[in-house]
Amino acid sequence: MNDESIIHIQIEALTLEDLRAFTDEIGPADLGCRAIPRQTEGRFVIDGYLPETQLQAARGSRAASRVSLIVIENASELGRERQREVGEGNRFASRGEIPRGLGRKE
Amino acid sequence: MMTYLNVLEIESALENLAAAYPESAESIACPNVTHEGRQTHVLRVGARRAAVYGVLILGGVHAREWAPPDALVSLAADLLEAHELGAGLVYGGKRFSANEVRQIVDSSNLFIYPCVNPDGRHYSQTNDALWRKNRRPHPGNKNCVGVDINRNFDFLWDHLKKFAPDSGVSASEDPCDRQVYRGPSPTSEPEAKNVVWLLDTYPQIRWHVDVHSAVPVILHSWGSDQNQMTESTQTFLNSAFDSVRGRSNDAAYGEYITQIDRNIVETLSYRMSEAVKAVRGDGYGIEQAYGLYPTSGASDDYAFSRHFIDPSKTKVYGFTIECGHSFQPAWTEAEEVIREVSAGLIAFCLEASAIVARSTSSSVRQ
Repeated sequence: MNDESIIHIQIEALTLEDLRAFTDEIGPADLGCRAIPRQTEGRFVIDGYLPETQLQAARGSRAASRVSLIVIENASELGRERQREVGEGNRFASRGEIPRGLGRKE
Repeated sequence: MMTYLNVLEIESALENLAAAYPESAESIACPNVTHEGRQTHVLRVGARRAAVYGVLILGGVHAREWAPPDALVSLAADLLEAHELGAGLVYGGKRFSANEVRQIVDSSNLFIYPCVNPDGRHYSQTNDALWRKNRRPHPGNKNCVGVDINRNFDFLWDHLKKFAPDSGVSASEDPCDRQVYRGPSPTSEPEAKNVVWLLDTYPQIRWHVDVHSAVPVILHSWGSDQNQMTESTQTFLNSAFDSVRGRSNDAAYGEYITQIDRNIVETLSYRMSEAVKAVRGDGYGIEQAYGLYPTSGASDDYAFSRHFIDPSKTKVYGFTIECGHSFQPAWTEAEEVIREVSAGLIAFCLEASAIVARSTSSSVRQ
């Protein structure tokens, strides 16, 4: 396992071309499952998950002026925190323990 | 406090649901065990064993995306319990009637496969939370572990040959690539083999939804290039376009889709998005699966491509939901995401049922 922290960032640009110019230059980068940008308030936004050193290099790239980089969280730290929210043992070990969904039945 | 399901709990939950609702559920063992020796199961939800149409719903293909497997277990439990009670289902502001629940369970087969990649999920939940791939070491280099299951399917798998060199296609031939290593050969991985086995074994499957996270967005075909509806020779089958496939905004190539197919995938996507929004107001946009870059070897494109390669195979429309805003939201937020996914998938199944009914009545008229 790589010890370097992975930082979750949002990359925002006015156009898809600006966004692509930036991600082309810093690539290969982890842009989630399928590198799908979403449109928010007239801007194109995509999430990235970059090691700290790659993020530093990305800030200094030629295309960095065409995008805004917003740090969301330290995804590595958050992941370690979330591992405490995983079930231990087996809540359904007994055949009589029937899972119930979150929908209200009415 | 409730917590995320671990991989053992997912399997036990499916077994217990099948045992509790024997008239409307069946546990199906997938034949290919994972590298770490886990056998996975699919829950077939449906009162009729050979219903007129089936929906294959996948979760947990990418290990670090923790909410989708929990969402699919919750969805199965909801449908089975509500069906038995003769009740409807409510998710936040979205309500489904008892008749709608009955329509799904009595007339379709949902093949719910909550955790395609249990080795990866276990590793993500206990070691490296951001792990995405499976856990099989590369045969030639034991230090390189894991294949991205969603780049391993046999759809334009050889991205170096099948896409323009400057397309930026999202896949890698490097076994040490942490994210998108495609594997040593198409469908090399047991997890991908199990999905193919389901599509081969149950020809009633006409719809395929792969639940991932996070953007959020709903994706429909194709992921290989931007869609076009005029040049029928420009398809993934035509190797004459290998050197130009995948570039954005060019005139040289676009992936061909018929108007009818495009209408179907857009309508279904819209129904899902509408239902998701009604839960708590969050907007899941609708996009073609070609985003900034093309993708090779993905499950949704593979499912849709099968009929064009071999017309004797059922045409399966492929979709991906990227749910929620984070790979591992706090559990309280994950519960909201689970409600959104559940509502979106139930709305999807109802629209699929309506499409089947319309096509059946039209063929009866002919």
